[in-house]
Amino acid sequence: MLKIANFTLVLATLGTASVLYSHEHATRGSERELAREKAAIVDSAEAIKLLKAEWSSLTRPERIQFLAQSQLGMQPISPDQFVTEAELAARLDALTTSSTSAPVNPIDDVLKKMQ
Amino acid sequence: MMDIPTISITERKRGLRGQNRIRLLGLVFTLGFAVIGLQLVRLTVLKPEDGEAKRIAASIERIPRPDITDRNGTVLATDVSVASLFADPRKILDIEEAVELITSSLHDVDAKELYKKLTQPGRAFVWIKRQVSPEERDVVYNLGIPGVGYVNERKRVYPQGRLAAHTVGYVDVDTKGIAGIEKFLDAEGAIYTASLADPGKPLSAPAQLAMDVRVQHALVDEISKAIVKFKAIAGGGIVMDIETGEIIALVSLPDFNPNAESKLITKDQQNRMLSGVYELGSVIKAVTFAMAFDYGVINMNSKYDARFPLVIGNARINDFHAQRRVLTVPEIFTNSSNIGTAKMALDVGIENHQEFLGRVGLLDRLLTEVPESAKPILPKKWGKLVSATAAFGHGFAVQPLQGLSVVAGILNEGKMVPPTFMRRSKEEADVLGKQIVKPTVAANMRELFRLNATDGSAGKANVPGYRVGGKTGTAEKVVNRRYSKDHRLASFIGAFPMDKPRYALLVMLDEPKPTPETYGFATSGWNAVPTAGLIIERIAPMLGVTPVFTEKDREALAKRAKAKKG
Repeated sequence: MLKIANFTLVLATLGTASVLYSHEHATRGSERELAREKAAIVDSAEAIKLLKAEWSSLTRPERIQFLAQSQLGMQPISPDQFVTEAELAARLDALTTSSTSAPVNPIDDVLKKMQ
Repeated sequence: MMDIPTISITERKRGLRGQNRIRLLGLVFTLGFAVIGLQLVRLTVLKPEDGEAKRIAASIERIPRPDITDRNGTVLATDVSVASLFADPRKILDIEEAVELITSSLHDVDAKELYKKLTQPGRAFVWIKRQVSPEERDVVYNLGIPGVGYVNERKRVYPQGRLAAHTVGYVDVDTKGIAGIEKFLDAEGAIYTASLADPGKPLSAPAQLAMDVRVQHALVDEISKAIVKFKAIAGGGIVMDIETGEIIALVSLPDFNPNAESKLITKDQQNRMLSGVYELGSVIKAVTFAMAFDYGVINMNSKYDARFPLVIGNARINDFHAQRRVLTVPEIFTNSSNIGTAKMALDVGIENHQEFLGRVGLLDRLLTEVPESAKPILPKKWGKLVSATAAFGHGFAVQPLQGLSVVAGILNEGKMVPPTFMRRSKEEADVLGKQIVKPTVAANMRELFRLNATDGSAGKANVPGYRVGGKTGTAEKVVNRRYSKDHRLASFIGAFPMDKPRYALLVMLDEPKPTPETYGFATSGWNAVPTAGLIIERIAPMLGVTPVFTEKDREALAKRAKAKKG
């Protein structure tokens, strides 16, 4: 009786020990993974900071102004470039009438000739 | 056989006693294991009490230095990680050899100095070089000298470079704030800095400035062009939100590079807008006018005799553009008559004049978040003459920002909001605002400012559509204790759009010279004012001010377009 009880207890001890060991092993693994991920987060955060700083440096208004003027021929906005909705129709008319000298729709011209 | 029962009895008793002992021992062990088991369950299965772990983590982490951004989130200052090389001299086997190896790979490290540092007795930690590049770090680390290592340190960088140098300031090699907002974050603003930190995380929300880098750049660009064009020795400018007191841009030229290794800021590179005091000259007349209106001494139809110079004791006050006639209040403003303004101040009275200057804060040092600030220079005794000259901005010197904030306050329905470099909401500003003059005074002043831009000395700043108003000032500088006719300080203080003033602008040029384009003039109207015009034309669209045109504006625009084509 006592022998059986002892035997089962020994078995139980071995069993729990192996379970405990496997859990501990898994935990160690998870911990390592967690540390890796945390380090990766820190690295990424650092990289984001650096990239933000670089972005800020590359979009310096001074640099953008130089590029816009030298590469795109842009100019600072003049007050007369602002047009209200009410004025829009008049402004558009002025633009279209000034460009009527060139054929507006070449297909129409071709069709007319064909008739 | 006789012995057996006796033995058996004693043995039995002994056996029983032994069994009891075993049971007792078993019980003790069971209890012990039960305690361990329960503790295991509590620590692993059940969740640990919340907060405990966090508290410990928070106390270990140092509060990180927040980034500094402009009002739109553009990064102005941030930390990046860099390596710093150090050595433990006790662990180095051959110091001479180590010095030779290190200096052969780091060329800017002085061998003698390093040797001296490493041979100091009793030192366990010596910096070899702070903030090295990754390549330098690897080279030295791969030398494999025992006792030489590196740690990652934070380095402060300013991606926008010089652009906002005076406002942002800079830090020393230990990332301790030395100037500007950087200093504020460590000193007076420490509570604010702590409030940005996220508890339990090594992160901080950025400190957001009121500055807009686009406006700042436009201001820098135009003022540096003006300095070249008019051969001035220095210049500066401020753009301020009248309603909230936020400083949207602040420029002082010459400036400095905050990313430079050694920051030896000369006196010339100081922030003239805060740590310099100037006699602002005629722009101060606006303050005198507001005072006279507020005390009820004048109204828009009052007249003053400006036919003869004003004589007080031995001094004669004269006009620069002498009209030699009786002038109305608007005429005194647009002609910038010293005589008229001085008479106004005398009518208000010396004591009231002093009281008013105190009320608007021109007699005290103006304090903002940026720690560099200068005390005003005031006359020791206030007499009749002092009051008369102070009326047109002579005899007392203040920070340029002070002058602008008073004008901004007058134009903001008489409610002066203390200027700030940090973001501020309208609600916060309303609480901080102080009524310095009556709203009716503000209406009169708006009219005068606008009139001076349409018909007066500030005409060249009147950009069509943006309803600019302003006052000019040309002060003679004191050279060798005397006012010099050839050394001038030209300034412009204005605001737009004048129907509901929102943005105030100050432009200052130090010693502009006459040029052929200005027909030999070097007064404010020919240099500071057109510069202000160019600035307003560039920044008004950025600030969301839409132009409204009158017939006159359209004519001016058509003329400009023609001039461009031709």
